[in-house]
Amino acid sequence: MSDQTISTAQTESQRQAFARQRAAIDASARWPVLGFFTGSVVWLLVGTGLALLASIKLHSPEFLDGPSWLTFGRIRPAHLNTVAYGWASQAGIGVTLWSMARLSRTELRYPRLLMFAVLLWNIGMLVGTIGILAGEGTSIEWLEFPAFAPPFFALAFAIVTVSTMVTFSNRREPHVYVTQWYLIGAVFWFPWLYTAANLLVIYASVSGVSQASINWWYAHNVLGLWMTPIGVGSTYYLLPKVLGRPIYSYQLSLLGFWSLALFYNWAGVHHLIGGPLPAWLITLSIVGSVMMLIPVITVAINHHMTVLGSFRQLRYSPTLRFIVFGAMSYSAVSIQGSLQSLRTINEVTHFTHYTVAHAHMGAYAFFTMIMFGSIYYIVPRLTGWEWAAGGLISFHFWSTSVGVLVYFIALTFGGWYQGLDLNRADVPFMTIVRNTLPYLQVRSWAGILMAAGHLAFAALFVMNLLHIGKQRSGPTLFFDRPDAATLTVIGDASGRTV
Amino acid sequence: MTLAYIVIFASFVLFAISVVFALGWAMSHGQMQNFQRGATAIFDPDEPLGTRTDSFPGSATHVEPPPEGSHE
Amino acid sequence: MNQGPTIFLGVFLTFASAWLGLVVAPYVQFEAQRSQNAAKVDAPPETPMEGLAAQGRQVYRANGCVYCHSQQIRPENFGSDIARGWGPRRTVAQDYVGERPVMLGTMRTGPDLANIGTRQTSAAWHHLHLYNSRITSPGSIMPRFTFLYEQRKVVGQRSSAALTFPPEWDVKPGYEVVPTNEAKALVAYLLAMDRSRPLEEPGP
Repeated sequence: MSDQTISTAQTESQRQAFARQRAAIDASARWPVLGFFTGSVVWLLVGTGLALLASIKLHSPEFLDGPSWLTFGRIRPAHLNTVAYGWASQAGIGVTLWSMARLSRTELRYPRLLMFAVLLWNIGMLVGTIGILAGEGTSIEWLEFPAFAPPFFALAFAIVTVSTMVTFSNRREPHVYVTQWYLIGAVFWFPWLYTAANLLVIYASVSGVSQASINWWYAHNVLGLWMTPIGVGSTYYLLPKVLGRPIYSYQLSLLGFWSLALFYNWAGVHHLIGGPLPAWLITLSIVGSVMMLIPVITVAINHHMTVLGSFRQLRYSPTLRFIVFGAMSYSAVSIQGSLQSLRTINEVTHFTHYTVAHAHMGAYAFFTMIMFGSIYYIVPRLTGWEWAAGGLISFHFWSTSVGVLVYFIALTFGGWYQGLDLNRADVPFMTIVRNTLPYLQVRSWAGILMAAGHLAFAALFVMNLLHIGKQRSGPTLFFDRPDAATLTVIGDASGRTV
Repeated sequence: MTLAYIVIFASFVLFAISVVFALGWAMSHGQMQNFQRGATAIFDPDEPLGTRTDSFPGSATHVEPPPEGSHE
Repeated sequence: MNQGPTIFLGVFLTFASAWLGLVVAPYVQFEAQRSQNAAKVDAPPETPMEGLAAQGRQVYRANGCVYCHSQQIRPENFGSDIARGWGPRRTVAQDYVGERPVMLGTMRTGPDLANIGTRQTSAAWHHLHLYNSRITSPGSIMPRFTFLYEQRKVVGQRSSAALTFPPEWDVKPGYEVVPTNEAKALVAYLLAMDRSRPLEEPGP
């Protein structure tokens, strides 16, 4: 906050220094972050195609059937892994790397090693996905990649963690912002999770219900300790940056982080409620799931109060639209999750399409939408080029937000009725199947809408990389120019737009 | 079975201690003071408080620097 | 003024506690149970399925049957699994000892299969159902597993393994549909699925 009594020249040189610093940081992150984002967009499209296939096959089972690699039981896990590890994780890594560099106010470390990590990650994706379609999938949810794929991800991830932590340890900014805590947590938790789960389940081949508890500890923690910190952390940074206002309550953000760390770990086994696991274990996970209300409500209050009074800005900022949608979805899906773990609710919803709706509310309406918003903010600052068409961005937003809401409503109702009927022994199973069909068909339509949005997003991304559209103006780019040192800065508004 | 209970309770205790330790450390190193400074650490003279930093491309408010010397 | 180590310590210990509680503890507990079981004379065998049925488990895994079918029975007062005749009692950890992978499942797009071997004892039914589920179960949305079968010209006598279709589904004259080894293995697995034996002792 500059004091108006300081002379204009001093203020101006201060401003230039910070602008230069930021330009240098963005430049250092350019190749690795764009590398991960490119990978993420490619797998978003692949995963969306697989999603549509899977969705249609559920209500029209003879659609494109014949060869073994197109059977629903292989397409469905291929979809999950391509969107979770191909799209979501790569987008998350890109956001993490850029955010950590920005918040530490220092250049991103080991960019070439990170490019190698991009290569490793995407090779892993390719061999893993082909493996699943070839019938080598493990049938262990979220860990379906056959044994030859995980080493690629483990190594790539080690590089990401090292780069992030070394960048952080060289920070110029003395204050550790809340986003940085979340990101450190994420890059520390996820490799541990991934390694432990793979070692035990795939390589050591733990058997019986031990495998199930490890499986769901891992799968849920991918949401809770990888995607959630990155999504929530990114929101904590970009919301105030876009609005120009600080977070409402910093103390609240502390509470939110540590309570998440404490409780989310335990929630994973709620996927196995009613199953063959000891009661104390399942009860513990229900307790953890309900206690999650604390960090969730904390974050909801914080984000809402920060945006309060500025909702009008949603008209003017693409990033804000996606992030606000995502943040609201986070609150909604988390509260739903806490409720779903209660035995009375779980008795109805377990084993139904309701759970699928919930999963997409979390992984898509929350995490994916925040990733979209973050990418819209970050990419122009890396390429120096503006997004080609605001109309396409709007189309992307409306098709995906409406799409996922329709998806959620259709499968929530469909799944709830499915669950109620499943619990009535006198309702024939085939009747239940028939009753779910209309909801499954609506979900396919919603999926087509979302896919259209993804195509628009991919087109915009490619156009930006190809420098189609307007060059980005503003201080960051200005100071990137090689002749910047010799230019005279005119200290008023019109000068800065050059 | 008993081993499981011991391990669980031990880990709960370990964790509780670490949270207390971490918070205590943070407080004694000034991390819990000056939340205003913490919350505004992401702003600087080039992107100060009050400046919006995102907009639709090609829109009239594309680059919206505040008028000289003023804050919203 | 370096919070890095603190954050690390906090994150590390949080994670360690959950890892211990949710991963190590059950593992230790269940592995102990496994060695206990092996010591008993009439204990369930370490790998209950051998030969063709064990191969069939891998066919089930490779084709993702777990994404529509569960293999777990919930307790009597929690859902209607038992009332639907899916099993005489809830399933417990002992029922899955030694299974790799264990495929408890989280979706019931199709019925639970924990005890399908006691409910459906006809191999012929399973083959028809897998070839095209709508033959045996009109309204079913299960995929067709035609790639597990071979449609071929009848040479000499019809194969004894050939599927017998109802008239409206029959293949064209002179042709027969025979199961591949994978299909035979899968059906053997389904026929062997039985978790209805009375418990020797109450589960944990």
